[in-house]
Amino acid sequence: MSEKKHMGMKAKTRLSNTVIYVILTIMSIVWLFPFFCIVCESFRVESTYQVGYVIPKQWGLDNYINLFTKTDFPIWFRNTFIIALFVAVFQTIIVLCMSYTLSRLRFKMRKGLMNVMLILGMFPGFLSMIVLYKVLNGMGLTGPNSIPGLILVYVGGSGMGYYVSKGYFDTIPRSLDEAARVDGATRLQVLTKVMLPLCKPIVIYTILTAFMGPWGDFMFAKYIAHASSVGMTVAVGLQSMIGTPSSLAANYTMFCAGGVVVAVPITILFMSLQKYYVEGVTGGAVKG
Amino acid sequence: MARVKLTNVKKIYDKNVVAVHDFNLDIADKEFVVFVGPSGCGKSTTLRMIAGLEEISDGTVEIDGVVVNDLQPKDRNIAMVFQNYALYPHLSVFENMAFPLRLQKMPQEEIYKRVTEAAEVLGITEYLNRKPRALSGGQRQRVAIGRAMVRDSKVFLMDEPLSNLDAKLRNQMRAEIILLRKKIDTTFVYVTHDQTEAMTLGDRIVIMKDGYIQQVGTPDEVFDMPANLFVAEFIGAPKMNTFSTRLVKENGEYYVEPFGSKIKVTGLKGKELAEKKIETRDIILGVRPEHIVLADKKGEDSIACTIQVNEMMGSELHLHVLTEDGTPIIVRVPTVNLTHEQREQMVNGHKIFITFEGKVMHFFDPETTENLL
Amino acid sequence: MSELKGQKIDLSQDLSDLEYLKLTKLQGIVYDVIHFFKAVPAGIGKFFVGIVNLIKNFFGKIAGEFKDIFVTFKEGDFKTRLSFLIMGFGSITRGQILRGILFLVFEIVFIVYMAVAGFYWLGKFRTLGDAGGTMEYDPILDTYVRVAGDDSFKILLYGLLTIIFIISFIYTWRLNVKQNKIAQDILKTGKKLKSGKEDLQSLVDDEFHKTLLALPLTGIAVFTVFPIIFMIFVAFTNYDGAHDGYANLFTWVGMNNFNELFSINTGTDNLSVAFGEILSWTLMWAFFATFTNYFLGMFVAIMINKKGIKLKKMWRGILVLTSAVPQFVSLLYISKMFATNGLLNGMLLDWGIFDNISQYIRFWEEKNLARIMVIIINIWIGIPYLMLIATGILMNIPADLYESAAIDGANTFQQYTKITLPYMLFVTGPYLLTSFIGNINNFNVIFLLTGGGPKNPALLTSAGAAGDTDLLITWLFNITTGAESKYYMASVIGIMIFVVVSTLSLISYNLMPSTRNEEDFS
Repeated sequence: MSEKKHMGMKAKTRLSNTVIYVILTIMSIVWLFPFFCIVCESFRVESTYQVGYVIPKQWGLDNYINLFTKTDFPIWFRNTFIIALFVAVFQTIIVLCMSYTLSRLRFKMRKGLMNVMLILGMFPGFLSMIVLYKVLNGMGLTGPNSIPGLILVYVGGSGMGYYVSKGYFDTIPRSLDEAARVDGATRLQVLTKVMLPLCKPIVIYTILTAFMGPWGDFMFAKYIAHASSVGMTVAVGLQSMIGTPSSLAANYTMFCAGGVVVAVPITILFMSLQKYYVEGVTGGAVKG
Repeated sequence: MARVKLTNVKKIYDKNVVAVHDFNLDIADKEFVVFVGPSGCGKSTTLRMIAGLEEISDGTVEIDGVVVNDLQPKDRNIAMVFQNYALYPHLSVFENMAFPLRLQKMPQEEIYKRVTEAAEVLGITEYLNRKPRALSGGQRQRVAIGRAMVRDSKVFLMDEPLSNLDAKLRNQMRAEIILLRKKIDTTFVYVTHDQTEAMTLGDRIVIMKDGYIQQVGTPDEVFDMPANLFVAEFIGAPKMNTFSTRLVKENGEYYVEPFGSKIKVTGLKGKELAEKKIETRDIILGVRPEHIVLADKKGEDSIACTIQVNEMMGSELHLHVLTEDGTPIIVRVPTVNLTHEQREQMVNGHKIFITFEGKVMHFFDPETTENLL
Repeated sequence: MSELKGQKIDLSQDLSDLEYLKLTKLQGIVYDVIHFFKAVPAGIGKFFVGIVNLIKNFFGKIAGEFKDIFVTFKEGDFKTRLSFLIMGFGSITRGQILRGILFLVFEIVFIVYMAVAGFYWLGKFRTLGDAGGTMEYDPILDTYVRVAGDDSFKILLYGLLTIIFIISFIYTWRLNVKQNKIAQDILKTGKKLKSGKEDLQSLVDDEFHKTLLALPLTGIAVFTVFPIIFMIFVAFTNYDGAHDGYANLFTWVGMNNFNELFSINTGTDNLSVAFGEILSWTLMWAFFATFTNYFLGMFVAIMINKKGIKLKKMWRGILVLTSAVPQFVSLLYISKMFATNGLLNGMLLDWGIFDNISQYIRFWEEKNLARIMVIIINIWIGIPYLMLIATGILMNIPADLYESAAIDGANTFQQYTKITLPYMLFVTGPYLLTSFIGNINNFNVIFLLTGGGPKNPALLTSAGAAGDTDLLITWLFNITTGAESKYYMASVIGIMIFVVVSTLSLISYNLMPSTRNEEDFS
């Protein structure tokens, strides 16, 4: 009797696991399908417009060659890379300063500061772009020279994005700071000798997200670069390549190639640091 | 090695929550002082004010004659052991203990010498290369103590260092702290909520409640002469029995009349009552469980009780009894002198008679709860 | 009135805790709802009392400051008194040279600035300029050249900067006065003042927060706070493409723009209709985008985490891959994939499911279908991130909770509804709010997928056309970048977004248990 029931439970588990495997497999296909398609289409030689099949009839590197020789793509890529590097450095410094201070130090204006930050975050970020654009334009940092302008825009207000890393810092027991201070450390030494080594995941998470930001942003980059091709980032450039129906027909497969060129290095970087990203998200995002 | 002096120290959190009221204490050089009290009594806050981890709202803290109110913790030359050890997880045991020395920019040789010496004393030499997470609770505690030991600090602060350990380990570490103290020979301030730790470790005990000092004294003083009802009930386990009753003066002799009995106050206590010229009045009578003895039969000086629960502790028997009017009393009976028949009678539901020794009673004012003597 | 074991209970009355526990589940809910609404008037009353108190406190504080300044002057020595005029004088003469010099330099810079430029800009601020630049014939060059005139944009910009500068000067002056008082008091007790060196040292220790916050807060002030203040002012002007500030000046128009947004609804200009329509879709979108992602992400996390499922890392990795690829690549590609001439329709035709082109599904050309599509594709984008978050939380739920629930007789589904879900909701409350706000302003997904389309003639406005999937933020973008460049209307809409978001936040913030005390978490 009990034997029978035991078997019943086992069979039930097996059934539910099978269902889960089926769902997960279908999901994996749905999630990977677009990437599979974009890679295949990027190697298509026979036509440049959209077609009703995925596997190219004729494989070739034409799209990649055209992308690098006949468009400004190399410039866009270089622009984005430079911007991403600067943003990664400065945004990380700013975000870590901000989140460490708000998490570990207690001072008079702390609560007020956090409330102000909360309220500021409720204004749409794009609103400030109108005046920033005019000012940057006056300084000659838009259009073709948009790189420094964009770096400033991305880095400038980045202190507002302190939530995730503050959440992570909050998980470190406060008695560690106190012990270090009693042991003779200044606040600066507490930060450099205790907190930063302990919070490696969130440091890497912050660098990673800061670096990836400019590759994905569209709104600011488009506004600052305007119509100047040499001032575009990959996002704006590739979008402009397929912006109209006629350009879409002419450049579609090249756009796919561009997408692949951008996505591959970023994806490799991301996947190699995935461990820290996951730790950062699960440790910090929830609590922020 | 230093004298620590707290004068009118107050801690007021925002919104006028007062955590510590007017704390005055002079801790002598090389003295071991224990702050004890229930949670929320302000003992940890006071310790943290000495350490510089909490701002001092009012009053002054002096270490070695220097007012340290505005000094950062690092400039006060103190060492501290935390309740949850506060070991740096990313550093090895050696580096954990070397941390304060590295901050002082001490040469490597000297660091090595000091850390290995301390590790030797604490018996953790073999773990020096491990990370804290690979250690057991007791070992972690030793590392934390070691980290505090390696510095020649003026004051050694300990914030409930044993409360995260299990009972057996706690007893063992308690004994080790006593030994350690002889080796380090500096000023100790120790915070605990456990009265046993306070009694066994402290040269002097500071008993606190709701931010006020209740009594400061040696273990003997606070045990024998509790300043008020709170101290009387807090120190000693099981806790002191107390009942409202009358103190009667008759022909120069004093009697108490709990539960219809009449027991004479004898010894020193009787003399002191007479010296203070105390007349017949209502009191709260306090009697420790170990000072209650069994009586053979009903008499004028005995009280009839029914046993509710009996706890066999080995060397002694704890009897939870109820008087006829339903007041609970705890009695501690040493098992060594009990006869077989007596032992057989100490069962639940059985009726016994008890009486108090006249020389070990405590008398408290029912209004102020202060000790009358 | 409700019956409870023969005894009548009036659910609209306040019940004690024990009486409340007697209620059945349904009665409990009814009681909660009644009392929630009963509390609303009191809550509103409280809110206004709070505001009144705030104002009272503010003026009380100002009065206190004036009194303190007066007392400082009365009781001050000549060093203190002279510092009222020459900032930093007291500090310098008392040996705090570094502080004193900083004060003094600030004062000199301020006076010079005000004399050279500040008063000029302030003077123009009231009208935002009188005459724009004109083209005049230059006989020497034999051509028309621009003769410099006023520039409203510059006047507004520098005018605001000047006002901020004045406010910060007043604050610094007050600080200078306070410093004198503190220094005097310290010297009276016989203690020493901090030297410049100690001041600097405290910047890495006691005052470390000032050092750390200097850079981030400067950035936020320049790139966020000031632009927002500026744009709030723009909302009260007629700044647009036609009034660009130098050829055609713009000027103050009071509340006109707000009236325009809420009242204009004529045959060709449906501003108020468009605003209402776009706002309601924005809220709808934010709601669905947030909660579909939330529950499905949690569901996926639970599936992958289930005991006995193998290759957990691989399943997670496949999903996380999507967040690695820059959004514009995946979104633009998917947008084209679902286009009417796109891959999907083409494939269906190829496979013979469609007979001819006329059967193509017009994913982006029909209002409801487009709206559903953006929500579905947003799920595709959002699930991996939510799955990661949910995984982290699920691992934190103590296993003995489930064990005890299983022993108490809960089945898998009950365990989910009674333990997992409440736990998740409690912990992720603040996150849900943030992500709701994030979705209200989710530019990328909408702009890259549909560009706001399909265009809707009913939403044609003076500020430009809007589409059925346009959110307020994409509309704002279009208004700003469109031919008309109605900056003032963009500002007004930006302010409206703020009003919506802040109202929602305030309400949910007060309903959530986990936001109340940040220390509770640690």
